[in-house]
Amino acid sequence: MTKSGKTFTTALTITATVLVTVVAARGVRTEQANTAPSDIVLRGRYLVLTHACGECHGGGDDPAAKGFLAGAGLSEPLVEFKIGPPPCGVDPKATGCFTTRPRNLTPDDATGMGRFTERQLFNALRYGLRPEDTPDVTITSMTPGKGNFPMQPHYVAPPMPWPAWRHMPDADLRAIAAYLKRGLKPVVNKVPDSEGPPDFWASGMTPAEIGTYPAPAFPTMYEQQPPAANHARVMRGRALVLEHGCADCHQSLAGPAAKGYMAGITSPDQEFVLGGCFQDPKAPCFHGRARNLTPDKETGIGKFTDQQIFNALRYGLRPDDTPDVKITSRTPGQGNFPKEPKYLGPFMPWSSWRYMPDEDLLSIVAYLRHGLKPVSNKAAASDDTPDHWASAVAQLGAYPPPAFPTANEVRRK
Amino acid sequence: MRLRLTVSLFLALMALPGSPREAAGPALFQAVTPAAAETFTSPPVLRNGSEKPGVVELDLTAAPARLELVPGKPTTAWTYNGTVPGPTIELREGDTVTIHFHNRLAQTTTVHWHGLHIPSGADGSPLNPVVPGGNQDYVFKVPAGTAGTYWYHPHPDMTTTEQVARGLYGALIVLPARPTEDPLAGIRDRLLILSDNRFQPDGSVDLPDHMSPAGHVDAENGREGNVLLVNGQTMPALEIRPGELQRWRIVNAAAARIFRLAIPGQKLLHVGSDGGLFATPRAVDDLMIANSERVEVLVRGGAPGSRAVLQTLPYDRYDPHTRPTDWNQPRDLLELRTTTDAPLPAMTIPATLRVVTAIDIKQVAARRALVFSQGMINGKTMDMRRVDVSARLNTTEIWQIENVVAMDHPFHLHGFRFQVLDRDGVPEPYVSWKDSVNVPRHSRVRIAVRFEDFAGKWMFHCHILDHEDMGMMGILLLR
Repeated sequence: MTKSGKTFTTALTITATVLVTVVAARGVRTEQANTAPSDIVLRGRYLVLTHACGECHGGGDDPAAKGFLAGAGLSEPLVEFKIGPPPCGVDPKATGCFTTRPRNLTPDDATGMGRFTERQLFNALRYGLRPEDTPDVTITSMTPGKGNFPMQPHYVAPPMPWPAWRHMPDADLRAIAAYLKRGLKPVVNKVPDSEGPPDFWASGMTPAEIGTYPAPAFPTMYEQQPPAANHARVMRGRALVLEHGCADCHQSLAGPAAKGYMAGITSPDQEFVLGGCFQDPKAPCFHGRARNLTPDKETGIGKFTDQQIFNALRYGLRPDDTPDVKITSRTPGQGNFPKEPKYLGPFMPWSSWRYMPDEDLLSIVAYLRHGLKPVSNKAAASDDTPDHWASAVAQLGAYPPPAFPTANEVRRK
Repeated sequence: MRLRLTVSLFLALMALPGSPREAAGPALFQAVTPAAAETFTSPPVLRNGSEKPGVVELDLTAAPARLELVPGKPTTAWTYNGTVPGPTIELREGDTVTIHFHNRLAQTTTVHWHGLHIPSGADGSPLNPVVPGGNQDYVFKVPAGTAGTYWYHPHPDMTTTEQVARGLYGALIVLPARPTEDPLAGIRDRLLILSDNRFQPDGSVDLPDHMSPAGHVDAENGREGNVLLVNGQTMPALEIRPGELQRWRIVNAAAARIFRLAIPGQKLLHVGSDGGLFATPRAVDDLMIANSERVEVLVRGGAPGSRAVLQTLPYDRYDPHTRPTDWNQPRDLLELRTTTDAPLPAMTIPATLRVVTAIDIKQVAARRALVFSQGMINGKTMDMRRVDVSARLNTTEIWQIENVVAMDHPFHLHGFRFQVLDRDGVPEPYVSWKDSVNVPRHSRVRIAVRFEDFAGKWMFHCHILDHEDMGMMGILLLR
């Protein structure tokens, strides 16, 4: 979920307090996704699940959920974003904001992706180009007017995190396109069209705002060379942190060469606001404040063990409030799972990240600990609920995710 | 972004002194000498140079002329025979027509006879350009059964928007072979060519650079003017007698604007579309007319001395990114003044205007989908060397035009009239002849078309002129 302090800010405004949907305490399998599927559609499905597409586009992380990827408005809660100059997305009373909405990603011809080719979807994921406004051609340049890159590019509306997704390998982006086109059943759902500025966001899509592609070489001045023994893992972790858009919230969207990279928010404009207050002033909203993920001992993750950070990514357990133990169960009180778990707020899409193999999660941990320079920055704590989000987590779908195909899915040529 | 003129504008049609083509003969659409109360004027009717019955020979010249598109601010407009709009061409079914066209512009152009079913070589498509200084004879026969309201405009490759904006557009009326065949004979005909334009403070046509922000908005929306025009005039006053019924033939010659016409206080009697009259009239509160479409309506005079206004009501055809802020404001087009004359006796409208037969779709040679996205058809932009659709003469096809983007795109097929079968699956409630149909955002329209008489290459395209120029066009090859 993208958020940029400079040109626009973002907030998720939902009618209920629940954004995250998945996690049941049944299975204890933690290595379910450890083998990357060789099948392109299954590979795409895995990437769609672990990149949290359903968090905005419908159905959360559960491919069996009603309205999975079918766009805003079909399944509750309604997801909308308010994009514009601060305090758009943070203050419901802000003016001059554009409303953007996650669209229907199912292959319905009229209301979804049915009439776009997989190449057009690839171009949307790699270059952020709206498929309906961009010819079905192979793009070989990022300079407008060259190599089939449009002279006046039309970008998909923020907060679609294509600046992060573009860092995935070609084959992965093609796999996502293949899954959307060939692995989902079409669902008719007309999502109202997103608003935006007349330049279709072009002025905000500069390297200064969204970073460069490809990403700057490692290490930048905010990164450091890890011990040789950790190098491979750190590099793998860096790629995952980039392609999962961690910095979209943990700062900064402009990438590893930007000041304060992964060091957490530094201004209230960068908060992530979630809840119904944008539709109904009396409804509650919750403020997420992305924390400092650099290895600083006081304000960052330096004080936590690898196990604690792993437990946060896999189980959503707050490292501050969870013992440094290996967890072998998902039932509170069993196998070291806390009796009264305290979860990270739903601003943090760990319910998608949890589907990643252990090795990937450990690689992310290794990068945070060994690949980043420590930065001192104390972000205020995020808003919490009295049950520390336990009732929201109880509504999450199954772990591991249901087998392909669910009722929403199909195998199509 | 949109030019705001601080002076109120009264655009008048300024024919040049000694304009080469004056109204002549017993034409239906004579240039009207404005009475004291009527400021509404019509373009002159182009004089037929042939004396032979059934033979029409016309001279039409595209050339710059010094005109006041904005009163008091002479500028160089591009004109047909010196006027904006150009002279009205009046033909009859069965006429053998030769139009001697002369291009005296500095640009390549063509003249497209929008809606006429004539040989492809006479269609004025971009495949037959007329170079600066060049001449072209357009020769065709007006098919029987096509009495209706049409229009003509340039159709060169990539520069249509500019040429139309600078003044090149005019109406073409096809009358029944014999006046007695007109079911509305005796009802006064009025021609209303709707358009819009945008001007610089010096009165010249505002055409921003394509790479400027304003040019970008034009490219997205299609160029819209902030000045609304009826026959080149702003807010003319048109007279009608109490109780009188008038037949208004309305052409939308705007590059992109869709008009939603209404006269608050009276229903419009919608009697015809692009290809002429319906079988039966239909009463409507308001009437959409997308760019390049035509409608025919019957309008009734009010109480003696009363006034009414022809308005265009808000209609949201825009992508949310480039929707103008004032889109939701109604705009006035024309004042309808009922005279204080003695009321005319009520006129009866025939219950049946004519027979309009539905195209037989029991035998369909092909069903095709054309996907309209922004600037593209089926993901491609225009290539003059490419054939996009290949079809057979003497067959019937069903085309589904799908609009997958957030703004409307009007579809136009050259050379062949068609009938709308359904819109988003809802069957069209009446049969009518169309050559252009608006396809609203995220919707689909199915049409049936019968290909007869004329082999060759035919254009189909989005009739937002900027989109057409950008290549939102394809080629149909008929063999």
